[in-house]
Parts: sequence; structure tokens; C-alpha cells
Amino acid sequence: MTLSYIIESIISGILLGGIYAILSVGFGLTWGTMKVLNISHSVFAVLGAFVSYWLFVKLKVDPILSLPLIVIILFSSGAIIYKLVIRPVQRAKDVIMASMVATFGVAIVVENVMSYFWRPDPRILKPAYASSSIFLGEISISQGPLIGFIMAICAISLLYWFLNHTYIGKGVQATWQNPIGAALVGINQERVSLITFGLSIASAGAAGVAMALIYAFYPSVQSIWTLFVFLVTIVGGVGSVIGTGLAGLLIGSIIGICAAFLPFVWVNVLLFALLLVILLFKPEGLFGN
Amino acid sequence: MLEGIEVSKKFGGLKALTNLNFSVEKGQIVGLIGPNGSGKTTLFNVITGFYPADSGKVLFKGKEITRCKPYEIAKLGIARTFQIVRPLLGLNVLDNVTTAVLYGRDNIGTMAKGRGRALELLEFVGLDKKKNAQAINLVSAERKKLELARALAIRPEFLLLDETFSGLNEAEVQDAIKLIFRIRDELGITIFLIEHVMKAVMETCDRIIVIQYGIKLAEGTPEEVSRNQNVIEAYLGKRRTC
Amino acid sequence: MRDKTNGRYMKYGLFLIVMFMLFVFPVLKPPLFFLSLLFTAYMYVALAESWNLMGGYTGYISLGHIAFFSTGAYTTAVFMNRFGVSPFATALLGGFFAAVLAALVGYPVLRLKGAYFTISSLLLAVVMQLIFMNWDFVGSSVGLWYKLLPVSIEINRMIFYEVMLFLATAITLIVRWVEKSKFGAGLIAIREDEDVAKTMGINSPWLKMKAFILGAFFAGVIGGVYGYYIAYVHPEVTFNINTSLLILLMSFFGGCRTWVGPLFGAIVLSLVNQLIVTFIGAEISRILYGMLLVVVIIFMPDGVIHYIRGLFVHRKIRHGDSIL
Ligand SMILES: Nc1ncnc2c1ncn2[C@@H]1O[C@H](COP(=O)(O)OP(=O)(O)O)[C@@H](O)[C@H]1O
Ligand SMILES: [Mg+2]
Repeated sequence: MTLSYIIESIISGILLGGIYAILSVGFGLTWGTMKVLNISHSVFAVLGAFVSYWLFVKLKVDPILSLPLIVIILFSSGAIIYKLVIRPVQRAKDVIMASMVATFGVAIVVENVMSYFWRPDPRILKPAYASSSIFLGEISISQGPLIGFIMAICAISLLYWFLNHTYIGKGVQATWQNPIGAALVGINQERVSLITFGLSIASAGAAGVAMALIYAFYPSVQSIWTLFVFLVTIVGGVGSVIGTGLAGLLIGSIIGICAAFLPFVWVNVLLFALLLVILLFKPEGLFGN
Repeated sequence: MLEGIEVSKKFGGLKALTNLNFSVEKGQIVGLIGPNGSGKTTLFNVITGFYPADSGKVLFKGKEITRCKPYEIAKLGIARTFQIVRPLLGLNVLDNVTTAVLYGRDNIGTMAKGRGRALELLEFVGLDKKKNAQAINLVSAERKKLELARALAIRPEFLLLDETFSGLNEAEVQDAIKLIFRIRDELGITIFLIEHVMKAVMETCDRIIVIQYGIKLAEGTPEEVSRNQNVIEAYLGKRRTC
Repeated sequence: MRDKTNGRYMKYGLFLIVMFMLFVFPVLKPPLFFLSLLFTAYMYVALAESWNLMGGYTGYISLGHIAFFSTGAYTTAVFMNRFGVSPFATALLGGFFAAVLAALVGYPVLRLKGAYFTISSLLLAVVMQLIFMNWDFVGSSVGLWYKLLPVSIEINRMIFYEVMLFLATAITLIVRWVEKSKFGAGLIAIREDEDVAKTMGINSPWLKMKAFILGAFFAGVIGGVYGYYIAYVHPEVTFNINTSLLILLMSFFGGCRTWVGPLFGAIVLSLVNQLIVTFIGAEISRILYGMLLVVVIIFMPDGVIHYIRGLFVHRKIRHGDSIL
């Protein structure tokens, strides 16, 4: 085991962590602000990956080029789910629990629809550039994760910018900080919810494309992705965009370091056990405010 | 009977209670008043074990209860109501009280016996006619009675009431005052109550403790307190103008 | 008053007749398919009832029930495979191990509330699945295969049918008894408002622990029997998280505030589920139960029974009453 191998391993871990962060950021946003715990979040990431895959395989559209389209499609799916499921659930006594159980149902439906029409086989999104590597001296970095990571950084920055610098984004934040005040100023809460939820699903879609550049994906992989979403979101502190980003990087580094020394499955055991410990002793997260 | 020594409680940087000393003698009705946010409810939460005190001690019948859990404190004989009443909405009135009877200090084992005792308590507070109503269908005054019956159901020796009179109309306040006296005189329960309705405080309390910003401002009989200059400025003065 | 006692005798009579009919059903030599259909239905009844102790009465929604069930199944598997020990003794042992697991995990996890509890319980199942997947002693990712009872398949199915019928009946009756007892009243108070429950003198951590352990024990016993019925265990099949969800759906569908709800929900949904899986396809079945979950949560959070009764009795059903 050489030093360069360890460094490579850590770098690829960090790249992966960045992608986990973007996979999680929207989930944390709806949980922290709307009190909607959306278990179907990652199933939409898988859907994003599938759409990107089909565009690439059937129409030869590069995943980077099709990304805007994916964002639009996923945003619309999010809006539909919002209207059909989330809006009615928001009347429940305990919105978090009700949304959690209901979106579990959504996740099952979407997963099995995908696996019914597209078969449950694993697939990989492999444009030519994804399989080559960049060399920095001894160290090689594969381009797939790198591009995924850059996509992730762009998406998180965009989301952050949107929330803090646009009129609608500020409306979103105002509503969740002070619903009554925002209503008084004339912000339409339902529209804000729809946009928040749509954005969250859209970011999941983008993350799904990035994930598909690294890993094989298949409909039921959504439940594994969901676990990573829990991991990153809870470690980062529910609802904090920056915290989610940091948590993604932290977890990525841990994965990188451990993967250099441990078989991969034990890395997962370790991570989920870590999540259990954090849930028990610091449920507000490591980077929460 | 209940005594607090130098009780302090902070929330982050906010000092909700600072070195508070208080005592309530057996058989008394003692009032706790103070402007909103002065730490009254926090004090009740510290006494009943919902918040741990940062420092200081709470003694009940001479024994320290500062580190006791809420249910242990209930078992020792301290009952409480909540400022915003919290009936168990999914149950009917009788079952609300029955549960407390079963787990209270009488530690009754069977539902049937528990129901019998619960019914007596509902009669005592005047809610027996509603015994089969769902708690969610009660109006505010009825919910308060239910809250009281439930507190009494553990057969307490000491009762903490958090703003039981607020939101009641004139006649209801009169009823509630009578009920408070009956709780003390017929059931022999010592009462410590938080109140904003001045008339009720003045009529019922043997002694009044005034706090502001978590610090004790004054203490004494209703007359003494209402003559106290600090209190008039801090609290009563403002109230009287409105 | 007379009417009431008569009504009660009617009920008991009906109960005994139904039980007797179910009991003698295998003697009619029905096709094996029916026996396994009913075996599975009884199993889900037992699982849903045992889940409901925490999920319904106490309001702590666990997705970890499958972990306790699998503990039982693996106990049987390991004993059969390694030591060749007879199953019905190991089923109790499976229950015991599941209860121990629940006690160990419950102590920290039961301090969490709401979604945090649910996520932790899910993690418990996932972590265990991952561990079992890589633990050679329990067969790692290949699972363990072992012999069926050394009797004809008809007798075999018949025995398991009766055993599961007994378990389902016993567990349902125990849960029904809990619901009407002081213990149940305490659990329900915790669901309604845990702080208020404490002011009533309810030792909520202990009560939750008892319910959690009892539910886990039942799940372990059921798993122990199931492990012997199916004659193999596999981490991905035995620990399937969809089973946890199905149990949850059954309870919610029937209504998780009473013992009748999970009974009804488990019978209806497990039969429907199995028929669709057998004749149409597992994916379609899952799509349907996913949709059903959404519909139940949105339109009938107190369950179908309550909902239908509400339609007839014109009693207003409030969303506020439900556990969600
Ligand atoms: N759980 C809590 N966390 C943070 N701050 C709290 C909490 N409970 C009370 N406070 C703060 O402590 C102060 C005293 O509150 P409280 O005891 O409710 O006042 P009162 O009952 O006299 O109106 C208030 O400023 C309130 O905001
Ligand atoms: Mg208060």
C-alpha cells in the first residue's frame, strides 16, 4: 500500500462526499424548512440518473448537456408530487411523521415503476471522458467523479445563491423563518412550498446524474442512497446548506481513508453505526447552528 | 413543604432564573406573579423535573428533589397543570383522568377501579356530565377543569397551577376560585399558582411571590405586595393602566 | 344490561366458531397454496399486532421490526444448520435473543422521538443486515440452507399452519388484553403527550422499554417459526426492509389505535399482496401498496375501519385525533 494509493483513495472519497452533499442538500432543506421529511428524495435522484442515461444511450446527448433538461423535468415531477402528496399531508397533526410515511409510499411506487418499465438491472452512465483519468504525478484522479464533484459544487453554490440573493429565494427563507410575518407581507406560502420542494427534487436529479457517473445505479439503489442522505443531513445539521456541504466532505474523507484500509462493506457498517451514535448523542448534528 | 434554595436556570445566554429562594408552607395557597417571560413557568418546570436546574436545590417535605425525574416527582405527590392546557386529545374525558388515577400515587391496578375514582374527581371539578365526550370537543373552560381533575387524580399533596384562570370569563373565574379553596380545604392540598388575573390572586392567595427577569422582586401578603413600590412599577402599575 | 351480556356471549361464540373452522381447515385437504397463503396471512397478523404495541399505542413508529423478526429466523437457522436442533424450542430462543437485542438497543434509541426514532430503527435493521451479509458464521451473503421437517410436504404445511394460527391468535389476544389494561393506558398516554404522561406518574422510559421488548420478543418467535418453515435465511430476503414497511402499512390501513385494525389490515393486505405477487407480479403489488400508503396517510390516518364507520355514523373524523 503506497502513499499515493492512500491519497488517491482520500481524494476520490472527497469527490464522492461532494456528490453526497448535493444529493442531501435538498432533503435537508425541505425537512428543516417545510417540516417535510421526504423519503422519496433519492428515488428522484435515481429517476434523474435514468433520464440522463436514456438521453445518452438513445439520443447520444452528453450528460453534462442534458443536465438543464433533467433539472426542469425533475422540478416538474417535484411540483406534481407536491400537489398530490405533500400539500394534503401538510394538514396532518405531525407533518414530519406523516410526510415521512407518505413519501415512503411515493418512493416505493416510483422505484417499482422504474423497475417494471426499465428492469432492475444495474447500469452505468459512461461517456468517453468518464473512464479516463487525470494524472498529478503519481496520483491519478478519475474524471467521472471529478466531473460529478464539479457539478455538485456548482449546484450547491447555485442553490445557496438562489436562497440568499433572489427575490423568490428570500421569500422562501422568510416564509420558513416566520410564516405569519411572510403571509402578512403577502408571500404566497403554497407557491413558496412548491418552489422549495421542486428545487429540492431538482437538486436530487442533478445529484443522481453525478452519482451515475461513478456508480452503477438501479431502481432499488434508492434505499441505499437514502441512507447516505440521512447520514449527511443529520451529521451536517438538518436544514443547514453549508453544514450539509461540510458533512458531505467529512463523510467523503472518512470513506476515502477507511476504504484504503477496510473492505468496502465494513466502511458502510462503520458509517451507519456512526450515524446511530450521532443520532443518539448529538441529533442536532455536528455542524448545525 | 416546598422550598427552593438559590435556584438558577439559564437557556443559552438567557438567565431565566437567578438564585431564586422561595418556600411554600403546608396548607397555604401561594401565588407566583410577574410579567410575561419573567421565568414563572420555567420555575414550575424546574420544580417538576422537566428542566434540570443549573444550580441550587429544590426540597419537598425536607427531601431534595432537584435531580428527580418528572414521574418520580409526581409519585412523591407534586401535581401540575400546563399553562396551555394539554388534554390527551385522542381520549375521552373519563379516560384522561383514569390514566392518571391508575399511575398516580394510589397505584390502582384495574381499569374498573380507576374509572370509579376518576368519576369522583370529575364530579368534584364539575365535569361529570361530559365524561364520555372526546377531549378534543371540550371548550376552553372545560379543558381547564379536565386539566385540574387530571392533576388531582394522582392524589397529590402539592399542586402547581400555571395560569388556570386566564381566558375564563368573570363567572368562570368565580367558580374556579371556589374550586381552588375546595381543593385546599376538602382535599388538604397545598397550592402554588401562577396567575395573571389579579383579582383571583388577591382573593385566593395567602402569600404572593413576585419575580421579574428570573429574580425575586418582592414577597408577602397580597396587601404588602400590592403596596410595594417596585411591584407597582414593574408589574401592577402597567396592568392597572390597561 | 341483558342485551349486553347476550351480545358478549354472541361474540365469544362467534370467535370460537371461527377459530374452530380455521383450526380444522387443513383437515379438508385444501390445495397447499391455500395453506401457505393463510400461513403468511397469520404471520402478518402476528407481526402487525406485535408492531402495534410500539407503533400504534405508543406512537413510536419503528422500521426495525424486521431486525427482530430476522433475529428469530437466524436463531433457528443457526441452530438447525450448525447443531441440528429442533425448531420449536429455538423459536422461543429466537424470541429471547430478539428481546435481548431490543433491550440493548432500546435503552439509547427510545430516548429519541418522532422521525429520529424511526430513522434509528431503520438503521438498526440496515446495520444488522450489513453485518449478517459479511458474517460467515451466519452464512454471510449466501445465507444458510437447511432441511425441512422430515415429513411429507402436506403434513409439514399443516403443522406450520396450525402453529402460526396459534401464534397469531395468542399474540392478538395478548395485545388486545394490553390495550384494555393499565399498561395499555400508559402506552396510549405516552402517544398522546409524553410530558403529560410523566406528570401522571408514568415512568415512560420503562413503559416504552417494556412495550418495545414485548413486541420484539413476539417478532423473534414469529421469525423463529418462519425460519424453520422457509428452511433458508438470506440477509437480503430475511432482512427485507419492505417487510417492515408492509407491516406498518397493514397497521395504518386497518387503524393502529385498536387491536382490530392490524388484524383486519394484515389479513386483507397480506392476501391481496400475495395474490398480486403470485398472479401479476411483485412490482405491481409494491406499486399498489405504495399508493395505498399515501392514500391511507392522507385520507384515513385513523385507518379504514374508523373511516368507514365515520361515513355511516356521521361522526366527524378529525385529522387532529390521529396519531399522525
Ligand atoms: N425551553 C426553553 N428554551 C429556551 N428558552 C426558554 C425555554 N423556556 C423558556 N424560555 C425563556 O425563558 C424565559 C422565561 O420564560 P417563562 O418561564 O415561560 O416565562 P413566564 O412563564 O413567566 O411567562 C423567556 O424569555 C423564555 O423565552
Ligand atoms: Mg408562563
